[in-house]
Amino acid sequence: MGLINEDEALIAAALKGSAYAWEKLVKRYESRIFNYGVRITGNTSDAMDLTQEVFLGIYRNLHRFRGDAKFSSWIFRIAHNKAVDINRRKRLTTTLAHTNNDEPDFLETVAGDNRYEPDKKLDDQQANSRVISMLARLSLEQRLVIELKVYQSLTFEEIADMQGVSANTAKTRFYTALKKLKTVSEENNVLS
Amino acid sequence: MSCPKTQHLLQEYFSDGLTPLAKKEIENHLNSCEQCNDEFKFFLLAHSNMKGWKDQSVPHWDRGLELFKREHRSEKESMGFWGRWQLVPTAISFVMLCVLLLNVSVISGERGFFVSFGANSSNLQLQYQLAEIQEQYLVEMDTLVNQVGEWLDSNNVQVLQVVMERTREATMENLDLIYAYFEQQRLRDLEDMRISYQELVDSDYETIRSLQQLARFVSYQDDAVR
Repeated sequence: MGLINEDEALIAAALKGSAYAWEKLVKRYESRIFNYGVRITGNTSDAMDLTQEVFLGIYRNLHRFRGDAKFSSWIFRIAHNKAVDINRRKRLTTTLAHTNNDEPDFLETVAGDNRYEPDKKLDDQQANSRVISMLARLSLEQRLVIELKVYQSLTFEEIADMQGVSANTAKTRFYTALKKLKTVSEENNVLS
Repeated sequence: MSCPKTQHLLQEYFSDGLTPLAKKEIENHLNSCEQCNDEFKFFLLAHSNMKGWKDQSVPHWDRGLELFKREHRSEKESMGFWGRWQLVPTAISFVMLCVLLLNVSVISGERGFFVSFGANSSNLQLQYQLAEIQEQYLVEMDTLVNQVGEWLDSNNVQVLQVVMERTREATMENLDLIYAYFEQQRLRDLEDMRISYQELVDSDYETIRSLQQLARFVSYQDDAVR
């Protein structure tokens, strides 16, 4: 059975009330959504809130999923909307700047796992911190377009559809985001 | 000095469905344009850095299972007419549990249902069963007696028929014998009578002859006297 068919089977079973199917469905996507949340919000706490809200949204709207699109695309559309909501509520830009200065969450997140391969964990943590630092300098729209293009491998048409803009606007946002990253990188190099 | 093509070319380079020919053209331009090439290299580096993300493990959470179970339970509870039927197995289990705990005995017989609770139920059940067995026994006995009576009657009739048949046959034989005996006796009597008459006749004849002789003698004597 393919992944998409398996998704559909799990959705059908969950709609009939199977808690096992629901849990399996959540397990399949929770890591992707959580990491999406970490990259977008910049901290694990908000990422967890986002994850829970996304899956609550999925649960509430599961009966509306018709299978016209891939389940993963549908999930990320919900995640995208929730990210925009959270950003609106918490004024993410400010929070991110603050979080970026303190960098508390990643250290906390990986601290519990440091007993296993601590060097590798530290490298991973530093790589993730770099990504977060870069993304934190972007606007939410730019961050989302980078997320959807680089990490979720969506086409510009899909991104445009999700963000309610044209494909050209999505491409421009992507380019602008990369330009901004270049500027940030150059600033960091000058400062360092 | 910036190249006017940079944005367009790089947007296209990262866009979907880039044809090999278009890609070749972009690469040709990148080779010839230092500014676009620098921009492109940085973009690749940034892209590569972004791809360096290592997935973090998800903190423990209940995955919405509590909500899912609670809502589906309440959904099941409000499923209407057919939903209520789903409670039937539970209700049956509950009744069975009560039956076991209260030691309930339900006895059904020809006299109807009999329900008893507790430890006495076994004695009452036994009494009830005993009474039923006795009743059945009496009924069976009556039936057997009737059957035996009918069987005996039927046998008696048959025996009587046989006896009467044999008696009739014997009587017939006896009557024949009696008749033969009487006939024989009658013939013998007739013969005896005939002999007796003959003897009587003979005797009479002798008497007559004697009388005749006497008469003749007398007559002769008379004659002689004369």
